[in-house]
Amino acid sequence: MNDSAPVITIDPVQAAARVEPTATPQPLAGPAEAKIDIRNLDFHYGKAHALRHVNFAVPANAVTAIIGPSGCGKSTLLRTINRIFEMYPDQRASGEILIDGANVLDRRYPLSDLRRLVGMVFQKPTPFSSSVRSNVAFALNYYERMSKSEIDDRVEDALRQAALWDEVSDKLNHSALSLSGGQQQRLCIARAIAVRPEILLLDEATSALDPISTAKIEELIHELRERFTIVIVTHNMQQAARVSQRTAFFHLGELIEFGDTTQIFTNPHEQRTRDYITGRYG
Amino acid sequence: MAIPARRRVADIVAFAFASMATAFGLFWLFWILWTTLAQGAAALTPSLFTQMTPPPGSSGGLLNAFYGSGVMILLGLLIGAPVGVAAGTYLAEHGRYTRLAAVVSFINDILLSAPSIVIGLFIYEIIVRTMGHFSGFAGAFALAMILIPIVVRTTEESLRLVPDQMREAGFALGMPRWRVTSQILYRAAKSAILTGILLGVARIAGETAPLLFTALNNQFWSANLNAPMANVPVVIFQYAMSPYDEWHTLAWAGAFVLTAFVLLLNLLVRILARKGSGHE
Repeated sequence: MNDSAPVITIDPVQAAARVEPTATPQPLAGPAEAKIDIRNLDFHYGKAHALRHVNFAVPANAVTAIIGPSGCGKSTLLRTINRIFEMYPDQRASGEILIDGANVLDRRYPLSDLRRLVGMVFQKPTPFSSSVRSNVAFALNYYERMSKSEIDDRVEDALRQAALWDEVSDKLNHSALSLSGGQQQRLCIARAIAVRPEILLLDEATSALDPISTAKIEELIHELRERFTIVIVTHNMQQAARVSQRTAFFHLGELIEFGDTTQIFTNPHEQRTRDYITGRYG
Repeated sequence: MAIPARRRVADIVAFAFASMATAFGLFWLFWILWTTLAQGAAALTPSLFTQMTPPPGSSGGLLNAFYGSGVMILLGLLIGAPVGVAAGTYLAEHGRYTRLAAVVSFINDILLSAPSIVIGLFIYEIIVRTMGHFSGFAGAFALAMILIPIVVRTTEESLRLVPDQMREAGFALGMPRWRVTSQILYRAAKSAILTGILLGVARIAGETAPLLFTALNNQFWSANLNAPMANVPVVIFQYAMSPYDEWHTLAWAGAFVLTAFVLLLNLLVRILARKGSGHE
């Protein structure tokens, strides 16, 4: 090491003396590696303004966590990425969400293409009342013509990726409703990845589960991030710190800070981020 | 820990009231079943199901009436159930947030409580008078008209009970609405929808007024839906009003079979509902 090497000092005096933190978060993901590029996104529920001018880029093949107090717009953000909000009247999004450069909020972008590209897992497990196998195979033959053996292969593949195969391989024809909550949630992950999406949205996917199931799913997220771009919304800050590489902090519909997870949790630039992660409100 | 005396008394009183209310309900049911059985016992023989309605003074059965009722209920079901399920699906899914659905739902409620004799007169006006004669078709249509609003209401309610999360999960996989409805929502609401249809069948099985103006009755064997058709409720009505003892006995026997049929349907509904609430 020579003298010109950058020296990182964690000097409490110096840190405290820094009155004005960096106003704009560093764009850690350049446009080149951004999988999802959100630009000037606004969202309205009727007259309520739920997201205000959100701009940030979700990097590819990494886990991005969205944290913030209830009602800050984190789930709303997730629900705009696959346009699931369009199910409901009075919900409007404006701005742009570019996935691989194409604006998916454009009405001309076909919904079935978007939803094949973007899988979603919800807070409460949502198994369909049919067998384990047909849950995973549910969307398969909609997108591709496949023989029965190809479908079986894809089902097994998806269940293996979701770390569920060993537990259900002998009960593929059992009702999915007979599985435990944690298994049902991994089944939903398997169902989402069976159609081979590139992006996975997890909306508080572990908040209804016990600690052991939660740990299993967090482990799974670790493995899946090599193949998918993952965005998780979570209330649990420890979880965000454990599983994500980037963290975005939202408050009252605004993106307050976005950066490396370590930086957000150890050295947040914004006062509101600091207050939230130290538990001053939430 | 000892339960305070006041709570124990309150418990006993509540239990007593609930038991009495149950006994009160059951009492009438068993009385009806017992009376119809006792009075109709003489006619509850195999010939009840093998012979035609007799002329006064001779013996016979109710075969033509059972057949006519069966055919008209079945046809009413075939017309009414699909229309009802489709309309209920529209109200709960496709038209969910529209003004039209709200209006249709309201009108359906009115239809649901319309007196059945009005339905009978309506079908009389539009079918019987146009065709120039009473017919089994007209009877089946009248029964379908009674069945439809029941099925619409129960289908709508059952689908609304399926959490939105299930719809979101289906749509998030990129499925079109018809697939989400037919493969996710119908499956989840299956037993509730079937329950509604069966309750509707139990209701139309005992309807007399709408048949009186439409299918009328037929003393003889007739499988022709384009002609007046015998049916159990109207036969019971006519035989009970007659001065002949044999006819009275047959009316009692018919009433017993009808009550037992409705009871069985309701039991079936209970079994289905239980199966639906647990996870198969």
